[in-house]
Amino acid sequence: MTGRPAAVLCLALPGLAGALSALCLGTPAVPPTGLLHALGGDGMEGVVVGELRLPRLVLALVAGACLGAAGLVLQEALRNALAVPEMLGVSSGAALGVAAPLVLSLTVPAAVQPFLAVGGAAFGGALTLLAAGLGRSPSAVLLTGAAVAAALQAGLLVLMVMADQLDLQLIYRYLLGSLSARTWPDVTGLGPWLVVAVPALVLCAPVLGVLRLGDDDARALGVRAVRARVAALAIAILLIAPVVAVCGPVAWVGFLAPHLARRLRPDGGAATWVAWSAACGAVVVLLADQPARLLLAPTEVPVGAWTALVGVPAGVILLGVGRRRPRGADVPVARVAPVDREPEPASLRKGER
Amino acid sequence: MNVATLRARAGGGPARLAAVAVLVVLAGCAGLVAGPAVELADVLDVLRGGGDPTARHIVLRLRAPRTLVALAAGASLGLAGLVLQSALRNPLAGPEVTGVTPGAVLGAVTATGLGLAGWESPAAVVAAACLGGFAGAGLLWLLAGRRQGDPEQTAVYGVLVSAVLAGLTAMVLLVAPGQLGSVVQWLVGSTEGRVWAHWSLLWPWALGWTAAALLLAAPLTLLRCGDEQAAAAGLHTVRGRAAALVCAVALTAGAVAAVGALGFVGLLVPHLALAVFGADLRTALPGAALLGALVVGGADAAAQALSRVLADALGADRLTLPAGALTTCVGAALLLVVARRRTEER
Repeated sequence: MTGRPAAVLCLALPGLAGALSALCLGTPAVPPTGLLHALGGDGMEGVVVGELRLPRLVLALVAGACLGAAGLVLQEALRNALAVPEMLGVSSGAALGVAAPLVLSLTVPAAVQPFLAVGGAAFGGALTLLAAGLGRSPSAVLLTGAAVAAALQAGLLVLMVMADQLDLQLIYRYLLGSLSARTWPDVTGLGPWLVVAVPALVLCAPVLGVLRLGDDDARALGVRAVRARVAALAIAILLIAPVVAVCGPVAWVGFLAPHLARRLRPDGGAATWVAWSAACGAVVVLLADQPARLLLAPTEVPVGAWTALVGVPAGVILLGVGRRRPRGADVPVARVAPVDREPEPASLRKGER
Repeated sequence: MNVATLRARAGGGPARLAAVAVLVVLAGCAGLVAGPAVELADVLDVLRGGGDPTARHIVLRLRAPRTLVALAAGASLGLAGLVLQSALRNPLAGPEVTGVTPGAVLGAVTATGLGLAGWESPAAVVAAACLGGFAGAGLLWLLAGRRQGDPEQTAVYGVLVSAVLAGLTAMVLLVAPGQLGSVVQWLVGSTEGRVWAHWSLLWPWALGWTAAALLLAAPLTLLRCGDEQAAAAGLHTVRGRAAALVCAVALTAGAVAAVGALGFVGLLVPHLALAVFGADLRTALPGAALLGALVVGGADAAAQALSRVLADALGADRLTLPAGALTTCVGAALLLVVARRRTEER
């Protein structure tokens, strides 16, 4: 599975199959040959394909690409194979922003509504960054992120207990991440954010490769490690927040996509991996959306449930395979330095002395 | 002043156990008094045998079982956490992290969703939670079994297993969406609305497994020293560890079936217990049980008092704080402190 053509093939074939199934399957089923005709026409098939299935396909690709790229940025910047978007407090913040007005029945002007989730996500992320001392050490960022996420989760729990049955279903569905009933306005709403985030990502990619070497080496190479890390984390938040606002936190894509990318292109550098991770994320979300749409039709299963169910075992297998190979210079972050060990209880340490 | 001198000043293990036990009783009393609608004087009246029927009903039928359930569940969780951490030699191995709690939640939710269990048959919920807890732990065993040596690795796999189990729970809830309102209590962790039926189910289970856990103190102490030393001392390590795991899973499942997934209790209470009572598990195990009861009982009382204050302040009558939210908040704060200390050490 080495070599570029093979890797492209590995990604393009499932992607193509997923795209075809996203456009053709469902009720009504449109044969692949009739797609162009249906898009051009005005009939019901044209509306279904053009106004429902196509925006959903685009949204799945964009959301997956953003989450995948953000996952890779996080993993590289924090030098940790298990740094996932869920650990930064971004997802919980967005969920809180969506749930709070709903449950407390606050009246929010329609113009502000789309910004609630983004605001919550940015709040959660900023809180993590500030509490972690602006990225002084990678492990502190992860631990602090877990703490902030847990605290926001507690707020969410209070809301869930207070909510009535209908609100609860809405919140729960949103929390899992779903692509159902998203149309063109949702997709175009992502545009302005991407205009800011993508150039920043491209500028940031070369620095990521240096950050991976460790703070001391990065400093020796002329990179201000702390500043670069804060910038990378901010970009990751910028990528995640709008996606979470539209689709909800689609779980574990940011964990799976970077590992897939590293497996497909073991010879690449950080910049290559960012691109590949985005592509992998897009394909993963697209593929996960198909069973979400079709399996229990007419009931929709949130796509996040599938990414969690399938993505986590797949990611674990990828991690395991990565570790069993001999560790060369080109097997980078697959070395896991995951959750930090809590300091041992004082009594134990005393006993050893 | 370090922990050792503090400990020397505070007296021996039994004295400290007694002190914590007194605190537990105080937390229980606070739980009786803290709720809305009945004032302190009325509670005292009821306890003396008087009081009007409404107050009697509220105190004896609602508050007393709720407080007792909170205390028993907290004791189970604290004990289960310490047993797990000792048996796996892993300071991160709380029941939340090893897939036991999410598994138990999945079991309870599935049984309710399929209509096999419900409010009428709480015993079935306990059984289902137990099965789920074993399934979660078994999944982790399958994943991490071969590389058990590294505690961090096991914790990471545990987090991943928990994610998978949470995804499964979500699937079940989507298939049976009507159940969401009634199962949200297991997802959240709340002591709201627990009655004598819950207590009469919980206490024999908790008592039996607590006794089993206390009997395991000696093998657990050996296991903490490492497999080779334990084997050299004549312990069958595999059997000892399996017994400890069964005990921990059963304790957790009982607690989850009663009060749901209370965040951070099983992970942090054992550390507290080791800091207060020392590494000798013969005192640390009962200590962890008492501290767990203290934490959850205190959280329950505090949650009631807080929701009363908040409801007064905001004028919203349906505002209730679940105890799970409170323990999660406190746990998050502790985690922040730990993270801070780690950064400063560098």
